[in-house]
Amino acid sequence: MQRKISPVAQKAVAHYIAESERLNQACDNESLKQIREQAQALLKQQGFPTQRDENWQYTRLTNFVQKHFEVKPASKITSEQLHKFMPDFAVTKVVFVDGWFNESLSDDLAALPKGVSFESLQDTFDIAGDTSALFSSESEITKEPFGVLNSLLLADGFYLQLSANAHLELPLFVLNIQTEGQHMSNLRNRIELADNAELTLIERYVTLETSTQDNDSMACTNVVTEVNLAKHTRFKQVVMQEQDDNAFYFNNQYIYQDDSSSCMSFYGSMGSQLSRHQNHIFMNGEHIESQQNSACLAKDKQTVDSRTDTQHNDVWGNSQQLHKYVLTDHAVGVFNGMIRVDQKAQKTDGQMDNKNLLLSDTAKMDTKPQLEIYADDVKCSHGSASGQIDKNQIFYLQARGIRRADAIKMITHAFLLEPVEVINNAAIRQWVTARLSAGLASVQKKVRE
Amino acid sequence: MLLKVENLQAEIDEKQILKGLNIEVKPGEVHAIMGPNGAGKSTLANVLSGRDDYEVTEGHVTFDGEDLLELDAEDRARKGLFLAFQYPVEIPGVSNKLFMQTALNAVREERGLPALDMFDFDEFAKAKIELLDMRADLLERSVNVGFSGGEKKRNDIFQMALLEPKLCILDETDSGLDIDALRVVANGVNALRSAERSFIVVTHYQRLLDYIKPDHVHVLYNGQIVKSGGFELVHELEENGYDEIIQQFENKNQ
Repeated sequence: MQRKISPVAQKAVAHYIAESERLNQACDNESLKQIREQAQALLKQQGFPTQRDENWQYTRLTNFVQKHFEVKPASKITSEQLHKFMPDFAVTKVVFVDGWFNESLSDDLAALPKGVSFESLQDTFDIAGDTSALFSSESEITKEPFGVLNSLLLADGFYLQLSANAHLELPLFVLNIQTEGQHMSNLRNRIELADNAELTLIERYVTLETSTQDNDSMACTNVVTEVNLAKHTRFKQVVMQEQDDNAFYFNNQYIYQDDSSSCMSFYGSMGSQLSRHQNHIFMNGEHIESQQNSACLAKDKQTVDSRTDTQHNDVWGNSQQLHKYVLTDHAVGVFNGMIRVDQKAQKTDGQMDNKNLLLSDTAKMDTKPQLEIYADDVKCSHGSASGQIDKNQIFYLQARGIRRADAIKMITHAFLLEPVEVINNAAIRQWVTARLSAGLASVQKKVRE
Repeated sequence: MLLKVENLQAEIDEKQILKGLNIEVKPGEVHAIMGPNGAGKSTLANVLSGRDDYEVTEGHVTFDGEDLLELDAEDRARKGLFLAFQYPVEIPGVSNKLFMQTALNAVREERGLPALDMFDFDEFAKAKIELLDMRADLLERSVNVGFSGGEKKRNDIFQMALLEPKLCILDETDSGLDIDALRVVANGVNALRSAERSFIVVTHYQRLLDYIKPDHVHVLYNGQIVKSGGFELVHELEENGYDEIIQQFENKNQ
């Protein structure tokens, strides 16, 4: 069905189609060209979502549509400039600048252990003849508007394969740096874990220099990551979104799980004027474990949107979720969680909890936890609670000599950091805790002023 | 005089609860405040500890030479006033250890003492846990989360032991406790008694007082102290209930 698209959105559509055509002119890979062309047709037809679309009611794209982000070559940066973004524990480092893989800033990925292969998607497109196998979930991805945009501008990302029983000694740390305004970092990642492989992945999204309120400095990151987890695989993922407060961030993750695989995905969100992180989990086997936690912090006029769609498609699946938001000033938080239990998925255990702390009278939370159950022998629950700090808690701490401001800080920290406990690796957990604590400290400084 | 309360009047939601209350507590004394439900017992405990839901409309309170009502709740605590809660609050995610270390260092700062680091704190806390015969894992858990009623009250007594206050106010600490838990709480209180430290034990029942044996007993009714006496008053109340005292008071006021 042809939608009515506003003139402003029409301009944005025309811009992105021109960008896509420009990329196609310089491209020899036929299957890639085809993917982009299909996306062009979809974008022309659909435009961008508006508040009339149920899934975008609270996540306004007005600002996004007015900007016309471009896929440009990456800026040059030095390894010294990277230093402050690196964690304090040993990792294998992968660096993307403005959406492009940077080999010289990354660790030597040819030296990864046997059975582990890392390629940039751009290299994969250049070398291989037929890359259509890379696009197995295209029909799923293009159900999402930013999936369409991602396919339209598809150029780089990474393709990581672990063969049976393979694992990396160190966590893989993928640093995504935005350097310039007007830039679209368009990333498409694909991860494949063969039977019994194990991977710990950390993704961090940052801006090189914190910009002023200058419009020209805004940049956008749009990620699509596809993860295929074969039998008995173990996948642990931490995503930290800490871009500049002017930036935009969109991320759609498609995680396909086979029998007895386990997945833990943590999302920490602090940056960007508008961020939207979506997990699409397909539990397509027996005895699957799937855990999704998030800790979201927003201030000023930030909008932080995190959503999960968890499909239990087979028996004995276990999914656990805890999503926490701390909002202040005029921030808007959006949570949407769906657990679907197929008729076949008996003995499912699906738990989803969303809790939100509003530190100002003007912050707003929109939350929609949902269950759709077609099997009869399942244990599922979902819940959501939003509110201010319990004044009895504050008084209890005050009555022990702790200053009111410090009491609020302690309670807020504890609240936001609960989802972090899902991270087993102590070094990673402490690093995430430190990141979120720093974010809270800056929010609380503002609250006090 | 450690605490001097004169003509204290206080209200909550524009309803007057305390209607001119007087009490004096010297260092080392243990006072019990008894009374029927709704007499204003918990209000007194909360007003003295600085909960801002209550508004003081009249009267003066001097604590250790200072105007208590001018101080914020946290400053009252830092200067040595301690409230054991009727309902200790659960704070998910905040470890008891972090909470108590922060509180202890706040109080130490007030006393001009250096802050205790994690190791010194552990040692200090361990001694108190032994003194009170409590479980050692107490510190590792989130504040009161998943604690039984008795454990919550014991945790409060443990905090009292750590902070070494000058005046301890126990707000119906005995409510909901079985006899074993009651004994632990009472033993804790008795272990902390000293020539300098005073107690105000607010309670509805005499059970706890049999263990603590207060020096002074006051009956609170309708926002005022209507009768004061020694420990023998506890047993008088036990036998006759509050009705007789209330009747005497009402007759006198007619």
